[in-house]
Amino acid sequence: MFKKLFWIGLVLLVPGATSLLYSLYFGPGAWTTDGFTFWGTPISLFVFWIGLSHAGTLISAVLLCLDIKLDRRTSMLAELSTLCSLLVAAIFPLIHLGVVPNFYMIMPLLDGRGNFSNLGSPLVWDFCCIAIYGILSFLFFTIHILGDTHRHLRRMYKPFAWILFPLVLWVHTVVSLDFATTFVPHWRGSFFPIYFIVGALYSGLALINLLLTVEGYRIRLLEKLMLVGSWFLLVIWFWNFVLKGEWYSSAFIFGVLFVQFLLVMNIRESRWGRGLISFSVLVGLFLERYFLVVPYGETFVAGVSFGIVDLLMILFSIGLFMSVFFGLRYRMATNLEHNEVLMGDVDVKKDSDVPVVPIYQVLRFPFLCGILFAMVFLVWAYSLLPYETFDLPLTGIIPLSYPLIAFMAALTLCGKAILSINKMVPVVFLALLLILFGIFYGGGSSQLSNYKLESANLENHEIPVEWVWKAKCASCHGVNGGLNQKFIREFYPVPQNLTLERLDSLGVDSLINVVTYGRGNMQQTVDKQTARRLVQWMYKLAKELK
Amino acid sequence: MNPLFNSLACLLALAMSAFLWRYSNKLIKNSLFVIGNFLFFCLYSALAFDLASPMVENYPFRMLALCFCFSTTSLNHKRRRYLVMAQCFWLWVELFGGISLFYRGIDISWTRIAAIGVGCVCSTFLSNISKEMEFCLMVYWIAIWIMF
Repeated sequence: MFKKLFWIGLVLLVPGATSLLYSLYFGPGAWTTDGFTFWGTPISLFVFWIGLSHAGTLISAVLLCLDIKLDRRTSMLAELSTLCSLLVAAIFPLIHLGVVPNFYMIMPLLDGRGNFSNLGSPLVWDFCCIAIYGILSFLFFTIHILGDTHRHLRRMYKPFAWILFPLVLWVHTVVSLDFATTFVPHWRGSFFPIYFIVGALYSGLALINLLLTVEGYRIRLLEKLMLVGSWFLLVIWFWNFVLKGEWYSSAFIFGVLFVQFLLVMNIRESRWGRGLISFSVLVGLFLERYFLVVPYGETFVAGVSFGIVDLLMILFSIGLFMSVFFGLRYRMATNLEHNEVLMGDVDVKKDSDVPVVPIYQVLRFPFLCGILFAMVFLVWAYSLLPYETFDLPLTGIIPLSYPLIAFMAALTLCGKAILSINKMVPVVFLALLLILFGIFYGGGSSQLSNYKLESANLENHEIPVEWVWKAKCASCHGVNGGLNQKFIREFYPVPQNLTLERLDSLGVDSLINVVTYGRGNMQQTVDKQTARRLVQWMYKLAKELK
Repeated sequence: MNPLFNSLACLLALAMSAFLWRYSNKLIKNSLFVIGNFLFFCLYSALAFDLASPMVENYPFRMLALCFCFSTTSLNHKRRRYLVMAQCFWLWVELFGGISLFYRGIDISWTRIAAIGVGCVCSTFLSNISKEMEFCLMVYWIAIWIMF
């Protein structure tokens, strides 16, 4: 069975991979975009798969924390699906960047490479949080696998789950802030953090149920949770409808309506019935994310502009997940299938041979180390030179705080135990540290310039706005607003092309917001009044260019 | 935001919390009550406040969080754990809702966030939650809701 599904995955993957290569070659113009749809399919797929990746660990870790016993097979599948979904999710922002080799420039290493990432941007938080989440999920899975033979690792399984529990919620919240902090009317919503978490949990439950159905197992609790998730999501959609008047019928039919068939006993007792319902939820939730990213909603999909590249990208993501997941599952089936500790039912007697130490006692030292690490980062960030010329708001640091704490706490918790497993592990660990150090100092540190923003007094509102534009914006966007071609070819990220169509799609408020607070590698620049004048200047340039 | 409707929201959250966790082991029934409460909070927010105001966007979620906090005082088992978790949920809604709103030019209510945070941390030290302590906690939450 696993082998067949692996081959089906490969069949989907190969044609899908052509769309990937095409997108890498042609850049963001390859998939369907226009003045209103600037994120498109890759970001829809990223949000969808990152949701699935969070749900796997969340289900495994949360239920463990709340002392709800799942059988070990389900936990194993949830954690494995997390890693595979994360792999799929990580590919799409890279494609979307357009300049793939420079992706690491968005790491929050401050001026480590002479390029100062904007800590106030959700895109920077995103990268940091997801990278840490990926590392810790891998560690969690490793502890689970090795716990069979190394009892000292098994003792760390539950404390580790307590570190991961808030981290998963935190990371998906940060993903939601990519949307919620913008001024695009379609994405305005301070309720997005909870909305995204509910969506992620719900789609993750559907994935785990689908995988369990494939294996010929079922967990009634997870089916009930899926049913409850559908009702909760329905109320959130209702609230979104009340606020913005948006309603997506197809997402409702696939994502919520079909799930209610779980209430019919004949259907829920049938393996095909359960499988189709879970698959329907995944389709519904993908449509929901697609409509969220693409402001045309359902009319867009019905139109002719949904291209072949978009379709192949979707096939690629499914194919990659299936081939990696079922490939690994096939390997595990041959090696671990009859291992009672890893794939068997929960056995309280076997668990009881692990000495019980209060979680608080185990976690207090690692968490103290984590808090210390985050504080050092904070002090370091505030002591750096660029913050003499503009503010670093607390809101820019807070989203990075818990991931940093969790990272250091997890390393402290299981570092010593993992290092003792094999003699090669410390060598690999040292090599990884050296690589990190190399990335950190790869570009050299930025040098202090004699030029100070205050000296130009650009926020004096009597100064012509054209001067401000030339001083602060023209280096990337060009003097005439048509991009500084030479500069941007050597630098990441490629700034937005400020055409009239694009300016209209974002709206004046959104533009003022971006100019004031910055985004991605673009720093916060001026006060709101000057930002408003700059936006007016942008419109003037865009009209001239047209 | 109208202070009268804001206070009424607090009262409603307190009243609706009485319906939660009445079926200790019934997942579906308990969930239906939570979802019913949440739907009620959405309708209340839509009717009582101006929907054009960004502050209203996460108002039903804040009411739900407050309702969870109140409901934990009537639990029989693992009360401290769920008390802390409910306050963490409230903190979560306030903090990240505040960050979203900050980027739209609305100041974050740091006092409210700090007060909830203090409540969260201090609750972890409660070994025995007496009736008097339950009352004090409820007064503390109401004070945060109305005054900050």
